[in-house]
Amino acid sequence: MATKDAPVTNPMIDPLTGEYRVIAPGHTFKSVTDKVSRIVLTTHTPLGWWFGFLVAGGFVCMLMTAVTWLFVKGVGIWAITIPVAWGFAIINFVWWIGIGHAGTLISAILLLFKQGWRNSINRFAEAMTIFAVMCAGMFPVLHLGRPWLGYWLFPYPNSMNYWPQFRSPLMWDVFAVSTYATISVVFWYMGMIPDLATMRDRAQSRFAQFMYGLVSLGWRGSVRHWVRYETASILLAGLATPLVLSVHSVISLDFAVAFMPGWHTTIFPPYFVAGAIYSGFAMVLTLAIPIRKFYHLEDLITIRHIDNCGKVMLATGMIVAYGYSSEVFMAWYSASHWEYFMMWNRMFGPMGWSYWTLITCNIALPQLMWLRKYRTNIGLMFLMSLIVNTGMWFERFVIVVTSLSRDFLPSSWGTYRATRWDYMTFAGTLGFFTFMFFLFIRFLPMIPMSELRLMLPGAKVREKAEPHSTGTPVPEAGD
Amino acid sequence: MNENEGSAISDQRSEHAVVTPGRKLTLVEVRERLANQKGKRYWRSIDELANTPEFQKALEREFPEQASEWLDPVSRRGFLKVMGASLALAGLAGCTKQPDELIYPYVTAPEDLILGKPVYFASAFPFATGAVPVLVKTDAYRPIKVDGNPEHPYNQGGSDPITQGTLLDMYDPDRSQHVLYRGEQRPWISFVAEFRAMLADKKASGGKGLYFLSSTVTSPTLARQWQEGQKTYPQAKFIQYDPANRDSHFAAAKQAFGDYVDAQYRLDQADVIVSLDADFLGGAQFPGFHRLAKDYANRRKLQGNVDMNRLYVVESVTTATGFKAEHRLQLRPSQVAPFALDLAEAVGAGGDTGGYNWASHEATYLQGVAADLKANGGRCVVIPGEYAPPEVHLAAFAMNQALGNVGKTVVYTDPVNPMPSIQLDDLISLVADMNAGRVDWLVILNANPVYATPADLGFVDALNKVGTIVQLSSHNDETSQIAHWHINNQHYLEKWSDARAYDGTVSVVQPMIAPLYDGHSEHEILQSLLENPDVSPYDAVRTTWNAGASKGSSAPQQTKGGAVAAPDADFAWRKVLHDGWMENTAFAPKNVTAKVTLPAIAAPASSGVEVVFRPDLHTYDGRYANVGWLQEIPRPVTYLSWDNAVQMSYATLEKFGLAQNDAVKISVGGKYIIGGALPVPGQADGVVVIALGQGRSTGRVAGGVGFNGYLIQQSSSPWMLAGAAVEKTGGIYDLCKPTEDYIDQRAVFAGGDGSGTHSLEGNEALDRGIIRYASLTEYKSDPGFANKGVGHFTPGPEDSMFPAYRYDKNAWGMSIDLNSCVGCNACVTACYAENNIAVVGRLQTKIGRILQWIRIDTYFEGDLAAPRAHFQPMTCHQCENAPCELVCPVGATVHSPEGLNLMVYNRCVGTRFCSNNCPYKVRRFNFLLYSDWDTPSLKLMRNPDVSVRSRGVMEKCTYCVQRIQEVKIEADKDNRPIRDGEIRTACQQACPTSAIVFGNINDRTSEVAKLKSGSRTYGVLADLNTRPRTTYLAEVINTNEGLSRALGEYAVEKA
Repeated sequence: MATKDAPVTNPMIDPLTGEYRVIAPGHTFKSVTDKVSRIVLTTHTPLGWWFGFLVAGGFVCMLMTAVTWLFVKGVGIWAITIPVAWGFAIINFVWWIGIGHAGTLISAILLLFKQGWRNSINRFAEAMTIFAVMCAGMFPVLHLGRPWLGYWLFPYPNSMNYWPQFRSPLMWDVFAVSTYATISVVFWYMGMIPDLATMRDRAQSRFAQFMYGLVSLGWRGSVRHWVRYETASILLAGLATPLVLSVHSVISLDFAVAFMPGWHTTIFPPYFVAGAIYSGFAMVLTLAIPIRKFYHLEDLITIRHIDNCGKVMLATGMIVAYGYSSEVFMAWYSASHWEYFMMWNRMFGPMGWSYWTLITCNIALPQLMWLRKYRTNIGLMFLMSLIVNTGMWFERFVIVVTSLSRDFLPSSWGTYRATRWDYMTFAGTLGFFTFMFFLFIRFLPMIPMSELRLMLPGAKVREKAEPHSTGTPVPEAGD
Repeated sequence: MNENEGSAISDQRSEHAVVTPGRKLTLVEVRERLANQKGKRYWRSIDELANTPEFQKALEREFPEQASEWLDPVSRRGFLKVMGASLALAGLAGCTKQPDELIYPYVTAPEDLILGKPVYFASAFPFATGAVPVLVKTDAYRPIKVDGNPEHPYNQGGSDPITQGTLLDMYDPDRSQHVLYRGEQRPWISFVAEFRAMLADKKASGGKGLYFLSSTVTSPTLARQWQEGQKTYPQAKFIQYDPANRDSHFAAAKQAFGDYVDAQYRLDQADVIVSLDADFLGGAQFPGFHRLAKDYANRRKLQGNVDMNRLYVVESVTTATGFKAEHRLQLRPSQVAPFALDLAEAVGAGGDTGGYNWASHEATYLQGVAADLKANGGRCVVIPGEYAPPEVHLAAFAMNQALGNVGKTVVYTDPVNPMPSIQLDDLISLVADMNAGRVDWLVILNANPVYATPADLGFVDALNKVGTIVQLSSHNDETSQIAHWHINNQHYLEKWSDARAYDGTVSVVQPMIAPLYDGHSEHEILQSLLENPDVSPYDAVRTTWNAGASKGSSAPQQTKGGAVAAPDADFAWRKVLHDGWMENTAFAPKNVTAKVTLPAIAAPASSGVEVVFRPDLHTYDGRYANVGWLQEIPRPVTYLSWDNAVQMSYATLEKFGLAQNDAVKISVGGKYIIGGALPVPGQADGVVVIALGQGRSTGRVAGGVGFNGYLIQQSSSPWMLAGAAVEKTGGIYDLCKPTEDYIDQRAVFAGGDGSGTHSLEGNEALDRGIIRYASLTEYKSDPGFANKGVGHFTPGPEDSMFPAYRYDKNAWGMSIDLNSCVGCNACVTACYAENNIAVVGRLQTKIGRILQWIRIDTYFEGDLAAPRAHFQPMTCHQCENAPCELVCPVGATVHSPEGLNLMVYNRCVGTRFCSNNCPYKVRRFNFLLYSDWDTPSLKLMRNPDVSVRSRGVMEKCTYCVQRIQEVKIEADKDNRPIRDGEIRTACQQACPTSAIVFGNINDRTSEVAKLKSGSRTYGVLADLNTRPRTTYLAEVINTNEGLSRALGEYAVEKA
């Protein structure tokens, strides 16, 4: 693999493997811990942070406006009609949930597969998951005609002689998403405890010490703690792993269980999962590339990570492409008039542009990632991450809107033109996501120091028990 | 009790002060305090009492002090008393906000009134083309539904959208509520005083300078009042003018018969029907629509040994009637008269047309029709259109006579209008009189001439020269704003009157409700001309029929034989009111012979664009433009809602370089209108069609909808305008069309037909087996055609892994005969009225949120330049395997043991998944708060048996479950099974052609079960295994195969 020249010229490439290094050489426990914790514990909040935070906050205000008006007037302020009774809300829901998947995959599946490189990015990938699920979780409630009765989707004892209808995939969503959100939050928080203890120990202000002390749950870094921590991590990873597959599978059933042409296909669960991971990794890159640049974390989030994300995207992108081609093939092979027409309509109907946008963004352009040259081109990969996310959004648009707009009965065909409230709500959740992320990077260690330290050469030296830096994997005990 | 209220209060306060603060109020004290008050004071005392600390204490403690009695043995009476008191008091504390409303209970309850149980009254809707006999459902004496009178020989229960819509017209919150003089409220009596003073003045001159301008009169009483009044005021003039008048017919009749006669068609006797621009299946605007549609459809039900009829339609405006025709020919309006004359010549009805240069297919068509007519002499009928020129009527008279149809398929009778006239001529002379200053007083009755007269007449300018203008109208309309006196009219559901139906039968219009805004009727005004001006309309109507003084062919009391010849006139009168019509008042056929000399064909006017005007199918001449239902429900064929359009063919659209929704300016003589261009399938090229009756400037609903076609109407040729300039303005006029039409541009391999001229929806509907039809010959050789072929397979219960649901007792089902459906929208409007369906407005309709539970789907087959169309009423199919039920997360849509797919509004949270999964797309969602919860008059209108839906819930057709339940309860009470036909859904009841049949399919003898077992039955999308309860009877068309071959038409494709 490796070329002969590369290792000589580029210190980031490991001469032994020819691969990019996961962490730049020369880092010690202390340097890593310093670098990460300083971002949070600094008293100087960068102006750029403020700028981004306020812009995102502005979008949150827009979201609040849109939602308030929505509650005042009803879902009629959106573009949904009969026949296209689902629109941006469901598209955004599926899109956001999909984005969350990469976080879980990175934190759980890659942990089980002992992919050490994940350690640099798993914390903020998990945070991304949680914020994405928060954004996603808004939509099922907002899109209800009577959102104040949304709690009726939960099975709970009541005096109304009311019980949910469990055959509906929307019910399954409730459980899938709430489970997913719970596990993600627990996993994320639990993984953060050692780092929170580090923050507690390094914090200068009483308030920060107190707060971090509170959330670090008395972590002292004893061996017993570490043993339990590791066990819990593996257990939670084991729990979260099936969720990566199940959550989006269940969400795909919202469509697959319905019998609309374009929805009613068995390929949906795997292809939704692949699509979710595809878009999730794209979002990881969208977040990682600016952050590593802004906070000078190139040493910790290296080209290797970007390269690996590119590979995962390429692989999942190919699965998605297989899904698309399978749909096309089945439309012809099934000899079903409905399927054939549906596919023709997707491609050449009034909303055909959305299908070709999706094909361009999700299949055509990402083929560039076959070449390492492009995978390691930071600017291009950032652009690619945006393209893939756009493409994945349009995938949901095509599935939801195009299929609904022309279904069985030609008399009832319709169209869909998003309103300003649709755009405001969508942009608002993007803002909310960013807003939450800004808070996260300012107040929590975005890179897991404890896990990163394990990656350092220092952690691998076992002959001598004496660590050569203050930032030991076993941090100082609290209190 | 106390002489002074103030002291009473202070007395009470001082009394309270005596009570020790800690003490609780006993019930005895409460009673005492209440008992000390009387009348109004009683209620005030409760408030005062409620404010005392003791009372509040009594409320906080769960039970009043005396409640401890309950432990003791207590009498039932005592218990109830205590309970009642505590409930009453708890109510005081529980409600924080009580609206200030007056409650008027029945002091003496009306006899026979059982609240919650509807009472039905027979009446008649006096429409310009003849009264529609109606049966009005009232709840607590509020009319809540208007339907055809099922026992009336004329319409047999059928109705039409306008008749249905009159209900909303009555409750219209925009109705005028006061007598106004120059915009200020005046008492009615001051108008009466002024009017009678004027009459007294004019008595000497015989009423010179007094003019009445009325809409078409169908009331014999009104005619009598006028004719009697004329004795005193011979110089006064009474002019009738409706924009959609029958001038052509009457002019031709006068010429042919020497007298005004009406033509009644007996379509039950007709094997071949030829319509010359007559939209006789389009709606009540065609005289006799209900009867004609019913008779037409009865010959198409393929039941028993009734032969099918065949319909030829030659038309200049695309109509539903045209699309129901076996063979349809589209012509320019200027060609209709030549065609009629040529056809008359071809069938040997005389005349020498001098020939006309027909295109080959037109000539073939003409010969084919002529041959078919001649072969069916005496069993055919030629119907001329109301808006066709008089020559067409003359040709029709001649043809019907020559073919021996008179007395068989067509009979001539006295006109329904007791005072027939050539209305436009009268109007023109009125304007001349006005301009000449000869009009002192112009009394306008139920007309809106400022809006609805051809603009070139200059009616508005002429009005300025009139001394006093009085207008009686239901709304404050365009004319009211100019009139000096505006009298608010009574709706026909509020007043006494009478009217004749198409067949001449007299119905008495009786009030169903006390006039909502008082109001006055035209009878009151005209009665002022008579000796005894204070006779009430009720007495006036009775006088007409007691005296037998009508101008009608037969006076009821004299001719009434046998059963009702009771000495008691009151009894006879009550029978008339009960039945809704007077027996033996139908017109006898007149023995008249047409003496017609058919003119030669004049050369067609020009090769330029011809603009055709037609009254709107729903708003008529504009008078129903403020009825939300009628505005909102898409018109047949154009599917246009909340708009009128500049309609033209696709080719003409292209010729003018237009696209749909482009703003078009049509100008003539300095006047112009701007409307949106709309391509209409099957429209003749070079023709622009404009619906009159929109573009009103008043009314919350009507105002600003569409454009006013009267602005370019010409009095010289009111229905056709040649030489108008049509130009593109460059702007956009976004028409409100709830569906979009697409042209199938697919190549053959992609599933299309490759022509690029067909409708995509139409092609798909045929490919998908949504529309299946055959020619009569094919049907006879293969009666089961509808269930053969690709995609026409219906899975049975055995095809499913799951056991079929069992329906042991009742299983409701519906069968819709597509052969009978004429797409008139009566069912849709009836559904709006029955089910409290909200009007969503123009924008919401346009983007696809119309709430109609039943709709008429229209598919165009073949080249859109001259297609065949198929109408399909579409409503919830009540699938046994309902896809919607599966996906609802909250169980808001569930299945009943009788097979109804029910919607539980209270439970719905509005995920809309059910709609997405509904293949028929019949579910409707309240995206916003569409129902009007505030307008008081609309509250009165609502059907109390149906919930008014709020925002965020799904709704849909329920098969009128409230009607099912009502009948079930009645049947249970009588301990008997439900009889077939006892439950009728609203759509079924309204359908003028009985295309919809509902009933229990478990009962093998029911009509619906019989229809469903017929070979034509098919389920739409039944191959999806939805097992729909609504099925359709496939269309069968009685093609003239010789003509079809000669025209080189596509052989009727196997559906």
